[in-house]
Amino acid sequence: MKSATFEYIRAGSTAEACEALKQEGDSIKLIAGGQSLIPMMAMRLVRPAWLLDINEVSALKFITTSDDGHRNAVRIGACTRQSVVERDKALAERVPLLRQALGYVGHVQTRNRGTIGGSIAHADPCAELPLAAQILGASMILRSSSATRTVPAETFFAGPMTTATGADECLEEVRWPVWDERRTGSAFTEISTRHGDFAMVSAGAQIALGDDGRCVRASFGLGGVGQTPLAFPRLAQRLVGTQLEDEAVRSAAEDAAAESDPGSDLFATAAYRRHLARVLTARVIRAACEQARSKA
Amino acid sequence: MIRPVSDRETDKTSGFRYIGKKRRTKEDPRFVAGRGRFVADVVLPGTKHVALVASPHASARILSINTDAALALPGVRYVLTGEEFCSQTDSLHIGVDAPKVTRYALAKDVVRYAGEWVAAVVADTRAIAEDAAELVEVEYETLAHVIDPEASLASGAHLVHSGHGTNVLFQRKFVWGPVDEAFAKADQRLAFRATWGRSSTVPIETFGVMAKWDSAAGLLDIWASIQMPKYPDQAARALRLPGNAVRVHFDVDVGGSYGLKRGIKHTVLVGYLALKLGVPVRLIEDRLENMRGGDMHGPDRFFDMQLAFDRDGTIRGMKIRAVDDVGAYAGRSPLQLGKPVGAICGPYQIAAIEYEPISVMTNKTPQEAVRGFGQSPTNFAIERAIDRIARHLGMDRIELRRKNLIRKDQFPYLIPSGSSYDSGDYHAVLDKALKAGDYSALVRARDQARSAGRLAGIGLSTCLEPSGGNAAFELLFNPKNETTTWMDSCLVRVDLSGSVTGVMGTSSSGQGHETLISTVIGEVLERDPETIRVVHADSLNALPSNSPVGSRMAIMLGGAAAGAARTIRNTLLAIAAHNFECSPEDLEYRDGNVSIEGAPSKMLTWDQLVEIAHRKIHKMPPGLEPGLQSQFVWGVPTGGGLPTADGRVQMYPCYAFEAHLVYVEIDPETGKPMVKKYVCGHDCGVMITPDIVHGMTYGGIAHGIGAALYEKFAYTEGGQLASGTFMDYLIPSAMEVPDIRIVDHCTPSPLTTFGQKGSGEAGYLGAPAAVANAINDALDPIGASIDTLPISHLALWEAIAAAPNRQD
Repeated sequence: MKSATFEYIRAGSTAEACEALKQEGDSIKLIAGGQSLIPMMAMRLVRPAWLLDINEVSALKFITTSDDGHRNAVRIGACTRQSVVERDKALAERVPLLRQALGYVGHVQTRNRGTIGGSIAHADPCAELPLAAQILGASMILRSSSATRTVPAETFFAGPMTTATGADECLEEVRWPVWDERRTGSAFTEISTRHGDFAMVSAGAQIALGDDGRCVRASFGLGGVGQTPLAFPRLAQRLVGTQLEDEAVRSAAEDAAAESDPGSDLFATAAYRRHLARVLTARVIRAACEQARSKA
Repeated sequence: MIRPVSDRETDKTSGFRYIGKKRRTKEDPRFVAGRGRFVADVVLPGTKHVALVASPHASARILSINTDAALALPGVRYVLTGEEFCSQTDSLHIGVDAPKVTRYALAKDVVRYAGEWVAAVVADTRAIAEDAAELVEVEYETLAHVIDPEASLASGAHLVHSGHGTNVLFQRKFVWGPVDEAFAKADQRLAFRATWGRSSTVPIETFGVMAKWDSAAGLLDIWASIQMPKYPDQAARALRLPGNAVRVHFDVDVGGSYGLKRGIKHTVLVGYLALKLGVPVRLIEDRLENMRGGDMHGPDRFFDMQLAFDRDGTIRGMKIRAVDDVGAYAGRSPLQLGKPVGAICGPYQIAAIEYEPISVMTNKTPQEAVRGFGQSPTNFAIERAIDRIARHLGMDRIELRRKNLIRKDQFPYLIPSGSSYDSGDYHAVLDKALKAGDYSALVRARDQARSAGRLAGIGLSTCLEPSGGNAAFELLFNPKNETTTWMDSCLVRVDLSGSVTGVMGTSSSGQGHETLISTVIGEVLERDPETIRVVHADSLNALPSNSPVGSRMAIMLGGAAAGAARTIRNTLLAIAAHNFECSPEDLEYRDGNVSIEGAPSKMLTWDQLVEIAHRKIHKMPPGLEPGLQSQFVWGVPTGGGLPTADGRVQMYPCYAFEAHLVYVEIDPETGKPMVKKYVCGHDCGVMITPDIVHGMTYGGIAHGIGAALYEKFAYTEGGQLASGTFMDYLIPSAMEVPDIRIVDHCTPSPLTTFGQKGSGEAGYLGAPAAVANAINDALDPIGASIDTLPISHLALWEAIAAAPNRQD
């Protein structure tokens, strides 16, 4: 489990990182926390010619919860440690789903090292943070040596371990939309064999209620049941205007499960995953709704 | 010398000074501070590193091996293939009589499992060796393979070793007691199959070995992460060296083993390379090599169980057909079907037993000895049987156990297969566990959970841990093997300064032998164990030992240390008697000082006595050796017997008992199980160091929860290991293991020095059975059951979905 030979560059700034990406293109791999990349390199499943370390780039480590021209969004630098995000109280109030999802990401020890951007850029379809990004419609800021562009989650996640990031681009920042509805609730859950494992199926939901108890805004999604984390905007829209009665929730969960496309592996068959998709979807919608209702 | 076992110290049970007292273990400071010295910490200048080329196929013929590109890589020193290696070394030892099932570290002509080593690359660094291993070109022609043990038993199956003529390594039907009569006369019968998944112990430290050949001295030095009886002898034999040309350094800490650190194949390979190349060579397995090609999987077994019993719950007879899939090579693994013979009826009075062990080969990674040496799977099958009988009769599981458990007044109790259980109070331990777990409250909690629509269950198991390491199963399974000696020994030395040092052979893999020896010597000599040093001799200096296997060291090493210390004490008494011109019977020994009874001022202190022994022969009694050291070799109590023609033999001297009580809940919608409460009642006689016993028991229970719910080396139909990393081979973490309450009980063994029994496998021997019984209790109301381990989330969901009484 020794990695194949590679050259190592430590970037001092985002610009330096972008320059290196421009020079080396496909043969370079960015490393942040290394929680996925290092084992893959050790098993020689990934053999980058160059390893570009962005851990020292302080400009990539920040959390901005205040309104600074990006109203209704929280900005998180790509290289911000997951544990830092998890402990940020202001952020937890504004993007509660993110903190709920983080509780399922590995263990305390891995979260101390793992980064927000690293997990999203790695784009494992079973991983929690890509799912949270998909559900909330987060935006990924991609920077190259010549340009910066914003890519929404729905097009950012292109397939298993595949994103819209170009070979010369670096994920700089993730923008998480903040819902300003007062009665907003969220929930995240998953089934994995052990705590901290990649989920067989994960599910998250965010629900906003009006004063009359009707759903005014809804979003939910599933991980582990498709090529990318899945959100179901059409099904979520169907919940808007309802009181989130059992029947509405059940049919949303059933349709989400039907629309998902799970695979089979050692621990779960496609049928089991589809079943879990239905059960967990209903659970997170109900739990998010409960939480929203509690905010009178 | 081997002494009879009569000179016990149990008359002192009332007043041990150090034994049984809660004291910090001697090893803690170095392990906690990161000062352990493991094999990978042994640094020798000029060391070369080995990486391995593994077979990608489960079964194939090797057509050619081209090493040119690998050898051309800068930093590569050698590439060894099976062609050379198998001609220059001898086959490893095989536990059963199967001379054609030879086994070498490197495959020659054919590969028999995916991951089997085909070539070894030696390079300046491990990374270069791995680079070069990728450049070795092996041309294969794939052959038929067999993965399923039942398919392997079928006629016409692909033969894993064609020269052996069959895939069966060992098969025998033992009949002990009136089995036919029991089954004919019993009111009721039932049959079922219980399946134990291929799991193991997976220590944090993989196997590692370093070897250095000194051509001037003609001596091969070996440092290894080893826990294995007769390891130096077997290494020397396979390397065609005299025994005294191999020196194994046992002062290497072993980072976990639980039975399976037996890298003899690794050792012969590295030893050969060190001899051949004349430089130190080391192989530290990485996790991938360890899990796929390290040959350290555990039992993989199914049991066809038949029970005969009466309506009142009396169990009359039991038939067990146990098929164990040892993988592609034999080694010692078939014998893991043998140990359970020593406790084949569990803790129960079952007078008639038929046991048919069948050891079969498949194209999988070979097995090695795992904690309990096959006893835990057998306990699981027996305990499932007990619960199934209770369910069949509509009888309470606890009542059924109480009715059939051997009673305290029946010891020593001779079981049908020839072993005599030494002592126990099974009913008392079971009651203690039930009380500690507040059983009736637990029943209420379960029933409330059930009425709220959840699946909830209580599991019990009452199991034995045979201990003392008398490996009489070797004789039973191999008529050509007549090993009846399983001694262990200790040397105690008192130096001129009066300090005490205990010397043991073999390495330790976390059992706390230094604490054991210092506690025992301290007890006998009445000296503070803190001041007693314990060292591990190398194999050329060591006294005879059979290493820590079969839960033997508290009994055997503890007994040997006590024997050696007692000789020292008797020597001091003899010196004092000589100087006081009295009889030793008139003397009193206290804290190492000797005085005349009734005249405390007439005293020779420890220091004075030690000085006489070392310097003043004129004050020594005639005939006594000067200097102050003593060695003691102890044989296994009750050992030495050969099996009878019908296969009865006394197998282990001591039998510890454990009663587990577990509460689980299962999410009926997702199948997710949660172990919510765990109590273990445990009786291993006198505990020498309670913290060590409890630590072993906690670890054993966690390991047992793993075997019951999580851990499996799974194979694809094509013969590929599907769980070859910790992503897929799932060890329970702190999140999956609940708080565990251990309740001690003490029934001293009449056979051992202080009344101690073994406990190295504690917890693991009953946990899988108890967890499986709890899961099945939870599934019972919906009419489902699962008898296959590990019980995965998927298996639970499928069982719930298919259950006849499922509530939606």
